[in-house]
Amino acid sequence: MGQAFSFTNIFGKLWGVNKEIRILILGLDGAGKTTILYRLQMGEVVTTKPTIGFNVETLKYKNITLNIWDLGGQTSIRPYWRCYYNNTSAVIFVVDSTDKDRIDVACKELHTMLKEEELQDSALLVFANKQDQPGAMTAAKVSQALSLTDLKDRSWSIVASSAIKGEGLTEGLDWLMDVIKDEQL
Amino acid sequence: MNSSKPTTASKFNKNFNKVNSILERKLRKFLTGPKKGETFELRNGLVSQYKHERKDAIQRVIQAMTVGKDVSSLFPDVLKNIATYDIEQKKLVYLYLMNYAKTHPELCILAVNTFVQDTEDPNPLIRALAIRTMGCIRVDKMVDYMEVPLTRTLKDESPYVRKTAAICVAKLFDLNSEMCIEFGFLKSLKDLLNDSNPMVVANSINSLYEIRDINQNPDLEIIEINSESVKNFLLCLNECTEWGRITILTTLTEYNSKGRVEEANHIIERIIPQLQHVNPSVVLSSIKAILFHLESLTNKAQKDQILKKLSAPLVSLVSSSIPEAQYVGLKNIRIILEKYPNVLTKELRVFFLKYSDPLYLKLEKLEVMIRLANETNAPLLLSELKEYSMEFEPALIIKAIKSIGSVAIKLSGQVVIKSVTLLNDIIEQRGGELVINQSVIELINILRRYPDKNDIASLIIPIISNHIQELDKNESLSGYIFILGEYPKFFSNLNEKLSALIEEFLEYDSIIQLNILTTIVKINLEYSNQSYSALLQKVLELATKECENADVRDKAYIYWRLLSSNSTPEQQKKILLTKLPPIDSTISEFNPQILEILLKELSTLSSVYHQPSDTFIEKGYTKITTKTDKIEDIKDFAKSEIINNSARDENLLDFDDDEIENEESSGNVNNLLDELNDLFSTPPPQKQTTTNNDIISLFNTTTPATNNTQQQENQRKDINNDLLDLF
Repeated sequence: MGQAFSFTNIFGKLWGVNKEIRILILGLDGAGKTTILYRLQMGEVVTTKPTIGFNVETLKYKNITLNIWDLGGQTSIRPYWRCYYNNTSAVIFVVDSTDKDRIDVACKELHTMLKEEELQDSALLVFANKQDQPGAMTAAKVSQALSLTDLKDRSWSIVASSAIKGEGLTEGLDWLMDVIKDEQL
Repeated sequence: MNSSKPTTASKFNKNFNKVNSILERKLRKFLTGPKKGETFELRNGLVSQYKHERKDAIQRVIQAMTVGKDVSSLFPDVLKNIATYDIEQKKLVYLYLMNYAKTHPELCILAVNTFVQDTEDPNPLIRALAIRTMGCIRVDKMVDYMEVPLTRTLKDESPYVRKTAAICVAKLFDLNSEMCIEFGFLKSLKDLLNDSNPMVVANSINSLYEIRDINQNPDLEIIEINSESVKNFLLCLNECTEWGRITILTTLTEYNSKGRVEEANHIIERIIPQLQHVNPSVVLSSIKAILFHLESLTNKAQKDQILKKLSAPLVSLVSSSIPEAQYVGLKNIRIILEKYPNVLTKELRVFFLKYSDPLYLKLEKLEVMIRLANETNAPLLLSELKEYSMEFEPALIIKAIKSIGSVAIKLSGQVVIKSVTLLNDIIEQRGGELVINQSVIELINILRRYPDKNDIASLIIPIISNHIQELDKNESLSGYIFILGEYPKFFSNLNEKLSALIEEFLEYDSIIQLNILTTIVKINLEYSNQSYSALLQKVLELATKECENADVRDKAYIYWRLLSSNSTPEQQKKILLTKLPPIDSTISEFNPQILEILLKELSTLSSVYHQPSDTFIEKGYTKITTKTDKIEDIKDFAKSEIINNSARDENLLDFDDDEIENEESSGNVNNLLDELNDLFSTPPPQKQTTTNNDIISLFNTTTPATNNTQQQENQRKDINNDLLDLF
């Protein structure tokens, strides 16, 4: 307990040193959330299994410590996303651009999630993932399918990405950093 | 990039609004002050944006948990901290998870990913920790995800992980036995019996035992031991921890070496070094295993030689400084002595009582001593027993006198004479009702052992007849009356003695009345000169007309009719004066079948109770999961009862004061039993049922009348189980 009140900690708190920004990666199962997380953290593609539960990694990006949570997207786990909403600065919503059948489900999940009180101030970044695959929808199409334009009072952005090739991820994250810096004053 | 593009003016406006709203919220938060309550504080700490705050909060949660506060509401927030590289924090979160998984079974699957990842961690400690915790989370949903990590850890390169995974198989079997078999975990567990690491082997055996107890499928063979695995067990034996050794030694008694002399010999040879172990339990288990395989040996000389080697370790059991451990040792020694009476004959001195021994230990030592008695050590033993009969504790005095009797009955010749004079000495020197009654009982027993030896009778009967006035116990009194009938010629003033007995006939207990009746009838037949016929007439009339006891009346009628029938006196004598067969021993023995079972269950609770384990362990396995719930119920129930009855308690306390005096007089045997019960926290079975019933009756009086008997029956069973658990 002594550690919590030590000198450095009090000052650290004042200047926001060691402070971690919480970011959630959500989306339907198989959208590529875990791949994105490890691509961002280690810069390489890992083989993943369906996430039963969650992964969490800490990474430093432009001098900000990010605490990125990748939650499992299976139907059975989705109800528990809400446990993680508290204190979240931003949500990264990943969509499988090739999965036209389930884009409606994704849209529904997204909007239910955004209605949550705890997420009123968090920024939203949508990755239209799997652009490397043939037949992938463009970012604009995905945006339309998710009715992103309906969102009011929220900073949001959609980026076309390919986690396998590593395209679009940094652009998306850059935008997110700008928004977060703005909002943290 | 395709982002929303508000105009500059509106963007400014929007930002301004946002800043305003944030400021407003922060201000309101500041004004209303923080929410109160420890849980709230802890929750905030758990989701803090600072690492050290989160860890600190977890520590505080665990602290609250260990002092018994209910912190289950923090489950989802604690769970978030499971994925961490800090092993301390991980351990704490795992600990929390094990404790509260039951409260949020559905949320547990959120931890699966971390568990699975942790079983791949480079650190074996983390791998083992993960699989252990996973097994401890007894939630059905978890089972579906255990296949991959369990398969992996069972084949882990680190023995520490393998031994942990072995135990996990038993836990899984309990939750879902079909899955456990289907995925081949049982098979892998059996393979681990041949593992190179002794700890893994020991744990696998333990796990298999556990599974065998749980298993309800009679077709499933769980433990199969062949000579191959026995070889491996013997190799492991020397490198194991003491617990592992005990497990392996116990398992060795499952392997039948009948007809394979070579193998049995080899097994015994490998076990013998274990007899020197410091831990008495290892020593006892080794003895058990040796005795088991001794049966397979054919060479008598070799057997004797091995038995000789057992005496020193057996003595070491009694030389422990802890009286409880000595007691257990003695109880086991008693069983072994029954089968192999000559193992310890030279070690009598070891069992002599020490001044500081607790009573239960002294009594048990006496039991062992009388079993060791032989012609050569008898003088030593008898003089020692005399010392004990001069002690203060009544239970010890009685036991010592009994032991003298037992020795005299066991051995013959000089020892008998010596014992009788010894008993006489004790009566003369010590006196007192307790001593006299008990000594007379023993003297009569000795007489019954040697019914035809006049020298012994002429030695014993004067002692008894000197103290007739002091006999006040039923057993000693009826013994005396019996002797009166058997040896009337040895008594002077026979008529007087008989008249005195008949005088008080109606005041005696029925057992003595019966004896008086028989004795007088016998004496009448013996002395055919009619000198006692008046007494006979009187006693028969008393017994048939005045006596209330049906048995006494019936017996009197039988005698009367027999005597008044037209049978010849010779025929009557043949019926009434038949000599009883001499008794051979007053030392209690086990029935041979029970002895075999007890020898197999040496070094367990059954060797202390001297009862086979299935008499006090319920058959069939009840799942632990359901049990704990019921304990909670009963606890609550008991609590409310205590609160409701607080007023009545005071009365009960007053009542107790009176009770104590009565109880004190009611005997040393009770005290002794209590002492023993304290020792072995679980009371011995017969005794236990009565205590249970008391408690049940307490419950029953307060349970609503709507309870049908079925429920009560259930409750009774539960309480039985729970009481055992509580102990």
